[in-house]
Amino acid sequence: MTTIRRFCCNDLLRFASVNFDHLTETFNMSFYMTYLARWPDYFHVAEGPGNKIMGYIMGKVEGQGESWHGHVTAVTVATEYRRQQLAKKLMNLLEDISDQIDKAYFVDLFVRASNTPAIKMYEKLGYVIYRRVLRYYSGEEDGLDMRKALSRDVEKKSIIPLKRPVTPDELEYD
Amino acid sequence: MASKFGLAGGIPERRVRQIWEAIDSRQFKNALKLSSVLLSKYPNSPYALALKALILERMGKSDEALSICLNAKELLYKNESLLMDDLTLSTLQIVFQRLDHLDLATGCYEYASGKFPNNLELMMGLFNCYVREYSFVKQQQTAIKMYKLVGEERFLLWAVCSIQLQVFCGNGGEKLLLLAEGLLKKHVASHSLHEPEALIVYISILEQQAKYGDALEILSGKLGSLLMIEVDKLRIQGRLLAKSGDYAAGANIYQKILELCPDDWECFLHYLGCLLEDDSSWSNRVNGELVHLPNFVDCTVSHLTDEVLNCRLSNASAFVQKFQVDASNCFIRGPHLAILEIQRRRHLYGKKNYDEIMEALIQYFFKFGHLACFTSDVELFLQVLCPDQKMEFLEKLMKSTTHPLTTIPTKVLGLSITVFKIQQLIGNIDKLPVVEHEAFAAQMVEMYWKNLPLSKDLDPQESMHGEELLSMTCNVLVQLYWRTRHLGYIMDAIMVLEFGLAIRQYVWQYKILLVHLYSHLGALSLAYEWYKSLDVKNILMETVSHHILPHMLQSPLWVDLSNLLKDYLRFMDDHFRESADLTFLAYRHRNYSKVIEFVQFKERLQRSNQYLVARVEASILQLKQKTDNIEEEEGILESLNCGIHFVELSNEIRSKNLTFNEDFQSRPWWTPFPEKNYLLGPFEGISYCPKENMTEEREENVRRVIERKSLLPRMIYLTIQSASVSLKENAEVNGSVSEPKISSELKFLLERYAKLLGSSLTDAIEVVMGVSTGLKSSEAFGSDMVDWLNFAVFLNAWNLNSHELSQPGGDQCVHIWHNVDALLYKYISEKTRSMESLICTPRGHLPTLVQLVTEPLAWHGLVLQSCVRSSLPSGKKKKKGGPSEHSTSLLCNTIRDSIDSSRDIVEEVAKWITDQIKRPEDEVVEIILSYLRKTGQGEGPGQVFQLLESFTSSVVDEVELGSRIPQAVKLWSPVDVARKIVTGSSTVLSEFLRICELKIKSLRALKQQMAQV
Repeated sequence: MTTIRRFCCNDLLRFASVNFDHLTETFNMSFYMTYLARWPDYFHVAEGPGNKIMGYIMGKVEGQGESWHGHVTAVTVATEYRRQQLAKKLMNLLEDISDQIDKAYFVDLFVRASNTPAIKMYEKLGYVIYRRVLRYYSGEEDGLDMRKALSRDVEKKSIIPLKRPVTPDELEYD
Repeated sequence: MASKFGLAGGIPERRVRQIWEAIDSRQFKNALKLSSVLLSKYPNSPYALALKALILERMGKSDEALSICLNAKELLYKNESLLMDDLTLSTLQIVFQRLDHLDLATGCYEYASGKFPNNLELMMGLFNCYVREYSFVKQQQTAIKMYKLVGEERFLLWAVCSIQLQVFCGNGGEKLLLLAEGLLKKHVASHSLHEPEALIVYISILEQQAKYGDALEILSGKLGSLLMIEVDKLRIQGRLLAKSGDYAAGANIYQKILELCPDDWECFLHYLGCLLEDDSSWSNRVNGELVHLPNFVDCTVSHLTDEVLNCRLSNASAFVQKFQVDASNCFIRGPHLAILEIQRRRHLYGKKNYDEIMEALIQYFFKFGHLACFTSDVELFLQVLCPDQKMEFLEKLMKSTTHPLTTIPTKVLGLSITVFKIQQLIGNIDKLPVVEHEAFAAQMVEMYWKNLPLSKDLDPQESMHGEELLSMTCNVLVQLYWRTRHLGYIMDAIMVLEFGLAIRQYVWQYKILLVHLYSHLGALSLAYEWYKSLDVKNILMETVSHHILPHMLQSPLWVDLSNLLKDYLRFMDDHFRESADLTFLAYRHRNYSKVIEFVQFKERLQRSNQYLVARVEASILQLKQKTDNIEEEEGILESLNCGIHFVELSNEIRSKNLTFNEDFQSRPWWTPFPEKNYLLGPFEGISYCPKENMTEEREENVRRVIERKSLLPRMIYLTIQSASVSLKENAEVNGSVSEPKISSELKFLLERYAKLLGSSLTDAIEVVMGVSTGLKSSEAFGSDMVDWLNFAVFLNAWNLNSHELSQPGGDQCVHIWHNVDALLYKYISEKTRSMESLICTPRGHLPTLVQLVTEPLAWHGLVLQSCVRSSLPSGKKKKKGGPSEHSTSLLCNTIRDSIDSSRDIVEEVAKWITDQIKRPEDEVVEIILSYLRKTGQGEGPGQVFQLLESFTSSVVDEVELGSRIPQAVKLWSPVDVARKIVTGSSTVLSEFLRICELKIKSLRALKQQMAQV
């Protein structure tokens, strides 16, 4: 009942019921379009019957050497379609693309330290808290950098947690 | 940053680094200082000049920036020895682009590329310029040059994309695709292809020419391996096979996809399409104009024999059942719903298989009935059943919930919610006695309350179990309001939603319902508050502004409206400005399919009906805001080029292919799109209000609105001119009273305006005169009353100058004027007198009254101001040879009368508003609450509200509900809600009063001025 396909511009006109959710940010156009122009394989939408948008994931692949990794920028599911493991399906898709096509070492994501439900979900999906980023969200709330190692990182070096928190300036990528 | 440095124009990097850093950190003054130092060393360096221009532009000094840029450009052209480096050119380009002079930037690159024909970097810069200008042909030519120069695949694809753009978005004929195909074929033969996107473009070129066989051959050949995701490749293959008519092979491919992705609904529909040799599922997709597709699956009557059809559907059934077994332990709905679709098709092809459909529905309910999406999943299949069968289905569901298959409380709740939803969908609830209809709402609220403990440990950010019950209750209460006209049900509905938001503040579904309920009650400022809490920004402004914008356009909340329009227009215009750069980004990253998509998307937004409406309305709002001061009004008109551009828009609108991007899915049942509100009409039964797709009707309506409104700025401009000429002393100059150009243009526009109202000019004049004198019924105006009154006001202004309807000096001139005064009086004063308290008559006549005062009456005020200004003695001797003394004094008296009449009208409106505002707040709060107090046991609103009160007053157990929910419940106050409603409508009225008071002041001043004449 779910068709997962590449996100396209017209989907921006159809995702309102997903983005009304207060934890889902509606970015400016150049943000979405930069992702579409650069990493179209990392931007997928799940569509249900009646062409309703159930949810979507957007991300990218970046980094150098052993830091070459997939990144989840946003993953969200409409209220009506929650509790069906759709977020898991979308995350697995991005992980597969990072792993099999781009041969990345790991996938990472940032989450608000207060967003316990999301943190729990990511943990269930195999992500670990790699480090805390101080005042990452608008200089106020801390963020957690969570990671999941991919097959190329045989020794799982990429996910050994850092002992100390970092500041946003110390982040390698935006 | 690093890429910005180099030896640009011979300046060493260290000298410019600081300047760029200052620019990047927005220290423009410092940057300017540093740039002056640089220029003292390199006074003739185009790069140094371009940098200075860039800084000045950022500081808002556009003229200076442009002149420096032009100077730099000149130096660049003149000095043969200077290097034409990309850094200088790209810096100039940035400034020219920001100054809206893309052509000048392109000119620089064209010149440079001409001078250094083999410089790839410059050619790429030039290509980029053409991308910004949407010059597809020149893009193609430049890309081909680059391709010839270095032979790289990407430049060939740039050229191919440019060709596709000519076909899709330009004037290029489809034959051009043959050229693109030829280019690709030749390249593939010698170099093959290396990028998956290149292959996708190649295939799309073939597909667009219906060369499906060729495309399939390429896909299954060596190049096919470029597509690394197997399913992606199979999807293309399936589509091509189906389009080529090879349905058997197509079905095989889709089977393969379903084996890999058993939940893929779209793929299943394609699979069925292939089996039944029905291509409607592909042709539907092709129609990219509609982004919000109707909720049904298209299919056509099959040409296959019954035997073949049955056999194929049985095969499909067997195939899908296999997945049902495989997927029995996971959340895959696809295979189960697929069975339903197969049964539906059987039914559509004439088989009476109701039992099978029913059985499949029940099975689906057992499996997924607890999910929030169950009802929307099965809606389509329920439509197949006749009313009795629907009721039978409902009964079966209800029976099943008495002995639920599960004991997990959240699932039990989910199943019960589903039953309520199905009941609402098919249960004919509105046929039940009112008291049972009410009980239905009460049951849902009770269920919500009883199940709150399930959510006690949830994070406040997470959606709670059973949250939708309150939206559903609201829907039922509004049905009851429509049915009984008892306002108490609306208040009940509001209380339910406000209660829900007190418990969890993030439920957007409640907020949207409140936006519409408060708008309906006239408490628009409160509706707007809730709308703002939805944080509608960026692209959502295009898709969901419809919840509030149409209400705001008819309201006196001008500051909020102005912000709403400005934010939206800024968003759209910013996108139009930056879209080309993003397209170039897609070119650079070799995501060619996105290139086409981006250009088409920008065009779609440019043709947005809402965007065009907002542009016109933003200008009209500016004009409305300044009507009390003719000089300021003229300033606005000047900034709008005296309305000329809008007349052009009005001329073009018929030929424009408008897009409708609004997402209406989240609208409440009673107003499925902005132009429709079932609550304003008689009760027709709930099943009467489907969320119909009214695109065609809406499109015609929007065109009419834009066409008509776009004429207003110009007509206002000409009206002021015309009124002014009628009394001016210019008669002394040329002896002619009228100014023929103004008169003829205004007449032309009046003719058009009349035509848009469905009349010829002569007929329209007759209607206006007839209605004003009482000879014709005001029904002649239909629903366009405001526009008819606008017409009357402009007609009067035209007649003052043209005298076509009368002899100069004759009484006809003032006769029309008197009639316009009478019309304004009739429609505004009389409407005011018939107005009741806002709280008692939701959505009453207030929006119309606001429009009448701020449009026709305001434009008439401008006529008065213009006449007074012209008739004031200018220090010269009294005019000679102009209009006769008699006619002038007659006109002056008419003006005086008209000023008095207009002032009386506005004063009457102001008095009504003041009376409304003056009512003690507690008194109105009490009225609202009295709607909710149920007396006796009989039917009537208040039952649900009283349930809420009993919940909140009962001892709240913290063990059962956790700490957060009881606290929230304690803080909830119905009196506060009622008070907010009162404040909300008072705010609207106060704003309206402010507008009226300014008008009264202006009219008083006019009267004093006239006393000097």
